[in-house]
Amino acid sequence: MKPLVVLMLLLLAYPTHAQEPATVEATAWQKYKTRFLDPGGRIIDDANGDISHSEGQGYGLLLAFLAGSRADFELIWSFTRRELLLRDDGLAAWKWSPGEAPHVSDTNNATDGDILIAYALARAGVSWDRKDYTRAATALAEAILEKTVVEHGGLTLLLPGAQGFSAADRADGPVINPSYWVFEAFPVLEQLVPSPAWKALAADGEAILKRLEFGPKKLPADWISARTVFKPAEGFPSEFGYNALRIPLYLVRSGRTDSELLSRIYRGMSDAKGAVLLSDVESGAVEETLTDPGYRLINHILACVLQGTKLPDDMKTFDPTQYYPSTMHLLGLSFVEEMRPECL
Amino acid sequence: MKFPIVASIGVVTAALAAAGLAGDGELPRGLAQVIVDADRADDASTAVQLSQAHGPAAPESTQDPPPPRVDESALRYFASKGDTARLEAEIARLRALYPNWTPPQDPLAVPQNSDAQLETMWRLYSEGRYAEVRRAIAERQSTDPDWQVPTDLLERLNVAEARARLVNASDLKQYETVIQVGAGTPSLLTCSDNDVLWRVAEAFAETKRPNRARDAYLYILKNCDNDPERLATVQKAASNLSYSSMQDLLSYERTNSAGALEFESIRDDLARRFVAAGDEDATLEVDPKYLQRVERLAETEGSAADALLLGWYQLRRKNTSEAERWFRLARDKQDSAPASQGLALVLIERKAPEEAEKVLYPWRDASSDARATYFAATANLLAIDPPVALSADVLQRIAQETMKSRDAATAQQFGWYARLLGQPATAVQWFSTTLGWKPDDEPSAYGLAISHKELGDRAGVAEIQRLWAAKSDRIARLGDEVDGQAKANTAPPGSATIAAGSAPIRTAAAPAKGAPLGSAARGSQTTPRKLSGCRSTIDPRGLPPGAALARGWCLMDLNRPLEAAEAFEVALRASASKLREDAAYGQSLAYLRAGLTGKAAVAAARSPQSLARRNELQTAILADRAVAAFDAGRYNETLLFLEQRRQLATERTDLMVLRGYAYLKLKRYAQAKRIFEAAAATGNRDAIRGLSDVLAEQQVWPRKF
Repeated sequence: MKPLVVLMLLLLAYPTHAQEPATVEATAWQKYKTRFLDPGGRIIDDANGDISHSEGQGYGLLLAFLAGSRADFELIWSFTRRELLLRDDGLAAWKWSPGEAPHVSDTNNATDGDILIAYALARAGVSWDRKDYTRAATALAEAILEKTVVEHGGLTLLLPGAQGFSAADRADGPVINPSYWVFEAFPVLEQLVPSPAWKALAADGEAILKRLEFGPKKLPADWISARTVFKPAEGFPSEFGYNALRIPLYLVRSGRTDSELLSRIYRGMSDAKGAVLLSDVESGAVEETLTDPGYRLINHILACVLQGTKLPDDMKTFDPTQYYPSTMHLLGLSFVEEMRPECL
Repeated sequence: MKFPIVASIGVVTAALAAAGLAGDGELPRGLAQVIVDADRADDASTAVQLSQAHGPAAPESTQDPPPPRVDESALRYFASKGDTARLEAEIARLRALYPNWTPPQDPLAVPQNSDAQLETMWRLYSEGRYAEVRRAIAERQSTDPDWQVPTDLLERLNVAEARARLVNASDLKQYETVIQVGAGTPSLLTCSDNDVLWRVAEAFAETKRPNRARDAYLYILKNCDNDPERLATVQKAASNLSYSSMQDLLSYERTNSAGALEFESIRDDLARRFVAAGDEDATLEVDPKYLQRVERLAETEGSAADALLLGWYQLRRKNTSEAERWFRLARDKQDSAPASQGLALVLIERKAPEEAEKVLYPWRDASSDARATYFAATANLLAIDPPVALSADVLQRIAQETMKSRDAATAQQFGWYARLLGQPATAVQWFSTTLGWKPDDEPSAYGLAISHKELGDRAGVAEIQRLWAAKSDRIARLGDEVDGQAKANTAPPGSATIAAGSAPIRTAAAPAKGAPLGSAARGSQTTPRKLSGCRSTIDPRGLPPGAALARGWCLMDLNRPLEAAEAFEVALRASASKLREDAAYGQSLAYLRAGLTGKAAVAAARSPQSLARRNELQTAILADRAVAAFDAGRYNETLLFLEQRRQLATERTDLMVLRGYAYLKLKRYAQAKRIFEAAAATGNRDAIRGLSDVLAEQQVWPRKF
């Protein structure tokens, strides 16, 4: 049994309102929210025209929970429910633009955003004894299960959105995005909405990752056609890109330590100094080298988990850069703090 | 099933599921009550008191309440800001909530909140910054565990957030969410916030619950007194409700103090709207008072629009002379494509295609509809039997338009028209042209073959037969029999030439009289015509089988399929198997043309048929069944019939489009897209539209990075 999962199962089994120790430092959270949290409760994606989205709200809720900040959690949740949780099917609209009216400029959902929101609500609901959070998490988890979890070719898959990705919707469908498998969330959501689909989703997600070895670097692509033989999906860049780079972080956060899979991804995405390499999955050619500490931390965590190498000092303190790498940074530090203090 | 997220208001999802929100029954009582009732049909124990028309939710217990502890913090906040409007609203609200409560004598002198943090919360609330109020409350609770949130603040915050969420969902057309939030927050549904009521009503209308929508609007008219909002309610309802529901609403119209009816100012627009509804639904009986109102407007006002409304209304009801009157009036006021098109349709309907052509000619390019109507007029005009003498100008311009738009139906009629005028060589040109545009047009192939034959062009006939023998029995058998028809059709030579393309046109002279051929030439396959008197009505049962068979084909030529079927029935008694086979074939064609697919299938089975004929009948029957299944909403069946048909014959483009829509209805977008793309490649307009329908249904969610 994986440590983090065990911890969460314990928490869920004994809802004693026991406050979990904060694993995101107060000062780090303060810096993050000063930079990315609008006073009205939305997380700002400053690299994408200052829009907000369900993924950002989900990360914001999760980080606020990990920082133990009930007030910020309440703020972000109020915005999220009022502005995004509007769809008839119970899922969240994914995109909110400050300059448009109505602000939601695309009512489609993004399933990773839904999962992150439900997961953060579920943990906060138990930890802080907030039945309203638990109720909302339950409803969202039911909608996720009903609208986005599908069977195809003997596998349980997660559709990236309720529309546009299924076998019926696309010639190469179903199309999946392996970085939408937030592995740590599934056992928590299963507690709220018991179904064998959650375990199948987790097991098949891991099994699929083991099979996604494209090109000379043997890396997964961001978007995959799962119709027959797994291959990069039509109409998307066939690259190991900004989506996929968080896969190993999600794996280790959920307690998965399969060293073969992690090593393969680590070899493919890290340069000698720990920068993250984005590459074309067909040719293996490097397209971008990401040196933001938030990205690099993922490689250093892998180095620690796989080889016992301690984190460099400049990784241990947090200074905000941009929304996405900064979010990775805090999730990474929180993981090390909680489960791998020996890496510090 | 949907899962609303209404955190602070205990709407149980199970109750929602059991609520029958999907139903559209009668809603007899107050709106708040009925929506909430719908949500907790099985949960009588949670006896939440519902808001009345003007007040917020009352407290739960009604038994001898102890003197209430009235939370006056909002009062104090508004007083301190000098916000008298909000202050008065708050006093009214507290009075409704606590009847025993006495408001302060001088509300503006009420001492200010001494609690600065609470003061901040009220300020954020009054500025609509609800998420920040939530944050401030949580902050305070974590630093001061003994502090209790004022219930007033919490209740107002819940309602305000729910309202914002309802409005957001409504703006995004997430109507189920609108209804669920409305149901979860009954205190929102009051006369003081008609915008919310309108949005809930719209949500009901948009989710196909018209009776609930009507009741929501009715609720306002029965309970709310704000005059401009009552008027706006009727205007909004008019966009969402049926004609008959609108009559229910209008029965609650009030008379103002001056004795005038309150909706008088919009009565003209309502009347127009109702007549327009009648334009769309021929079965709708619009009250004569509305028709008369629009008639008066049409006669007295400058715009042609009202006359047009009336024209379409009457045309829909086959009142051609009335329709003609209004379309002519509309054209007098302002000639336009729709007015001319309406008039042309009337003229076609009353068998005056010559004038229809003339009326619509200037507007032929105005729209695809106008163009289609124009060619309906021209095809009808040329098909008149006996043929109409047309001036060279008219013939010339029709020929030009036909060539320009490649209209196969009119081109084919040019062919028959030329034959009637005794110009088989011209007919050859037109039929060939038609086949160039529409290669599967059997009547044109047949016309071409008999025209070649008439001209003595044996090679020409043989070529057509080579190409068509398998597909058309009458073409295959062309050489077999004595053909009296060509001679019967020969008109005095040289009377007129109507040529396809660049061929010159000579002036039409007297048309050929007495040649009983005409529009009957069109339509589906028939065997060669034997035109010896099937126009008279006789009982075919007295005929010998051979004569009955001939009469059957003749009636088919006159497009009288049901009588033809009777004649074929008599022929089926023949002892000769070849005759029986022909009769069964003829009868199934007759039933097919009459739209009696089932009978056609039975008839086809009455005598063994050649493989080619069997296939021909079977493909026609399957196509009809596919269309019928689609119309009945049985899309899987549609695909099944089309699949069976495809085993027998290449799929026609129109059936490809049908297949595409069946896939679309079944949400099999990829397949729908493929088939529409294939059909659209032929330039088919329906297929192109289908393709965009698929794309609209299937908005692909964009990438985030």
